[in-house]
Amino acid sequence: MSEIKGFLETSFLDWPGRVSAVMFLSGCNFRCPFCHNHSLVLAPDKLNTIDLAYILDRLAKFKKWLGGVCVSGGEPTLSSQLPVVLRKLRREGWAVKLDTNGTRPQVLSELLSEGLLDMVSMDVKAPLDSKKYNSCAGTTVDLGSVKKSISLLKASDIDLEFRMTILPKFHSEKDISEWAEYLLDGECLKSPRLKLQNFNPRSTLDPHLLDDEPFASKTFEELQRLVV
Amino acid sequence: MGVVMPINAEMEKKGGVVKGDVSGKSEATDLALFVRTSQEDMTGWNRERIVDALLRETYVDRDTAERISIEIEETISTGKVKTVTGPLIREMVNAKLLEYGLEQARRMHTRLGVPLYDVDQMLVHPNKENANVPHGPEATNLTLAEGIKKEYALLHVFSSDVADAHLNGDLHLHDLGFVDRPYCSGQSLEYIKKFGLNLPHALAMAGPAKHPEVLLAHMVKFAAALQSHFAGAIGWDAVNLFFAPYLEELDDKQVKQLAQMMIYEFSQQAVARGGQAIFSDINIYWEVPKHFENVPAIGPGGEYTGKTYGEYEKQAQRFAWALFDTYKEGDASGRPFFFPKPLVHITEKFFETEGHMDFLHHICDVASDKGNTYFVFDRGETAKISECCRLSFKLEASDLEDAKEPWRMRYSALQNITVNLPRLAYKADGDDTKLFSLLTEQLMLAAKGHEQKKKFIEKLMAHGENGPLSLLAMKLDGQTYLRLKKCSYLVGMVGLNELVRVHMGQEVHDSDEAMKFGLKIIAHMNILCNKMSEETGMKFVLEQTPAESTSYRFAKLDYVNYPEQSAKVLQGDFDKGEIYYTNSTLFNVGSLMNPIERVEREGLFHPLIEAGSITHIWLGEAQPDKEALANFVINIFRHTQNDQVAFSPEFTSCLDCGKTARGLSEVCSYCGSEHVDGITRITGYFTKVSSWNKGKLGELHDRYRNEGHFDGQGAVN
Repeated sequence: MSEIKGFLETSFLDWPGRVSAVMFLSGCNFRCPFCHNHSLVLAPDKLNTIDLAYILDRLAKFKKWLGGVCVSGGEPTLSSQLPVVLRKLRREGWAVKLDTNGTRPQVLSELLSEGLLDMVSMDVKAPLDSKKYNSCAGTTVDLGSVKKSISLLKASDIDLEFRMTILPKFHSEKDISEWAEYLLDGECLKSPRLKLQNFNPRSTLDPHLLDDEPFASKTFEELQRLVV
Repeated sequence: MGVVMPINAEMEKKGGVVKGDVSGKSEATDLALFVRTSQEDMTGWNRERIVDALLRETYVDRDTAERISIEIEETISTGKVKTVTGPLIREMVNAKLLEYGLEQARRMHTRLGVPLYDVDQMLVHPNKENANVPHGPEATNLTLAEGIKKEYALLHVFSSDVADAHLNGDLHLHDLGFVDRPYCSGQSLEYIKKFGLNLPHALAMAGPAKHPEVLLAHMVKFAAALQSHFAGAIGWDAVNLFFAPYLEELDDKQVKQLAQMMIYEFSQQAVARGGQAIFSDINIYWEVPKHFENVPAIGPGGEYTGKTYGEYEKQAQRFAWALFDTYKEGDASGRPFFFPKPLVHITEKFFETEGHMDFLHHICDVASDKGNTYFVFDRGETAKISECCRLSFKLEASDLEDAKEPWRMRYSALQNITVNLPRLAYKADGDDTKLFSLLTEQLMLAAKGHEQKKKFIEKLMAHGENGPLSLLAMKLDGQTYLRLKKCSYLVGMVGLNELVRVHMGQEVHDSDEAMKFGLKIIAHMNILCNKMSEETGMKFVLEQTPAESTSYRFAKLDYVNYPEQSAKVLQGDFDKGEIYYTNSTLFNVGSLMNPIERVEREGLFHPLIEAGSITHIWLGEAQPDKEALANFVINIFRHTQNDQVAFSPEFTSCLDCGKTARGLSEVCSYCGSEHVDGITRITGYFTKVSSWNKGKLGELHDRYRNEGHFDGQGAVN
């Protein structure tokens, strides 16, 4: 069962425009080779579990400073506790952002209809092509669920961000353009933010990637322009 | 032939060679720096010169002087000395004075100078005491001159108890090499707008500027002139506002051009004193500060425009915006500009002024991307001029009266003396009473040092406009430029964190108890400063010492003198010799603490430190969201007592491809070259890491970079 394994009291980047706190739930159904939170995925038992009561207590101290709480992972929608955690946060008046890979559209749909979310950042790992997606996620992915989540989110009225971590090994310029095109296509209640993150080889789930180079700064800057 | 000359004469004539029958050889290259030119040779030897010098410079009686001169002459003529030079004879005389037990006379007769070996080292190796001094002929001139003036100060300006306290590291008297100048200054552009560039002894006099570019030229030249009369920073108040009356005819492109000129002019002035860039600060307001709202504005030609500054809000804002556009771009290779440092005042009125959120996002964008922005918080009725690494001059009632004629507003701190706090804890050995009494003693000694500096500067100022400080003595508005009565005297501190750790076994941030004790120490210092001010009529105020080299110097001295005790608390890397004390009242730079708690808790000290404080948030590679940062800044203003915050990113600048990337790295992320230099804030300003002293290198390694907090790649417990 997934538990809270990490807690960052202040982040200036996880929630666009807000100073937020971040909590990390363990367990994931992806094995992205470039994952930098892999301890949450592969060996969560080695990490201390953090009591939700402690977190709520710490958060209360920063009430006037924080614009909300991000719930990240791992993949938080795998946790049966997620709605419970979110309700508790809501009860204490916190705005909530969820980070997800979108493989559990049913959970997303329930959380949305219960009004537990103010924003979702969804990782869309590659253009929606099985071969590419599976190699980025390190496992076989049901793209139907991913697509369902994307349309679900686009139809909702909450703030929305789609993210992709890119590395030369997996992502071509064409991939990135296609990715952006797909996500911006069609009806959308609120236009989503698209965000690219450059791969950071400092700590990766697949140790082979430790020697891989990220995109050079200048190339990354050019690639970012493709999604703006 | 070498003859004893008074110090000054000898210095004036340095650069020559002594040719004498005794040596028969000239050693021009080796001795050129130290030996005066002499028309005389051995045949011209006149022992009476020794007598004259002794009678002129010391209290020795004529008979003794005669006897000494005869003995020296005998030594020389017996041929024991092969090369005779002025300095050598002086040293021989000094040795004789010691033999005779005339210690006081020896001190008075002493010679200031630098050993050949040291000069040789200096010419080749850079000076790392101040990372703002590059390496070059001007820089070595500065170091040499500073060396001699420092010796002079310790022998002749300060009493021996004060000088000894400096030498043994109880206190640090800052900028002793600039003993004949005040420490730093903050001023108004109105002075040159009204009076033009009219400096004593200048080759040409300029009337008040008619065009913005000319005003800028006057500003830069005046700053350079001030730099050669002050030891430290040159700050300018409300720069964007005072430029405003010149901007009405300019379109946005021209305003941007002017902003760019200003920043490049100041950041490239590394050609003046000692090859140093002028340590310059510009204070910037989005609103028109209350105290300038109804002040008649001075415009082109030094004439009143018929409007008040309140009516120039839009022009001032245009200029402020353009300045930050320039900071955002960085220099031609994308590096952050080091100078002038932009200090933006966040006040109640800021939040009432239209467009403030857009401007706040703009300056937060710069803070996140380039790091330049300093956020200065003026709560309630507070108004101040900020400069240097954190120094600020709070405006009092009389200053606000002066604000009606803003050219009168010029402020100076005459000197800065820092107390070595950890050493007091070593000496007190856990005894509270002893600790506070030792602290009191040091503060009183610092005050004594300040009085001595004040007397010395007064003596120089007394020579008026034809004296050594003519620029400071000029009286274009009826009072001297340096208003001695208004000067403040800074008392600083290094290593509060280590004091608390020695005394209580905990670092300041470890517990509420440790924090309270830290506050008690600073409160005691503050109260004492106030008391001493009342007693003497001098304005003693606490400042967080920037301690670029002091924290390293104290650490080194204590490691030698208190090896056991200091080894337990010194920060840094002992093997590399990169040891330091934590600056001023800051917390351990490596402590894991979220930025909210750091600004809140470090901010508790700020109201006690009247002349300026800062909290640094080290960003490392992280580039926070500008709107999130803006929210954070607003909360600092609303919910803390913190006086000033800066966010410091790190950069790697490539010396081969010329590009600049985020983060400190061994190789260039653009071209892979290893020929790179790091750039980040050392204490209160940006510099190249290659110019840092060892203590600060140790600190750099230890800094906790908040990256989890800022880069969204959160640390997992």
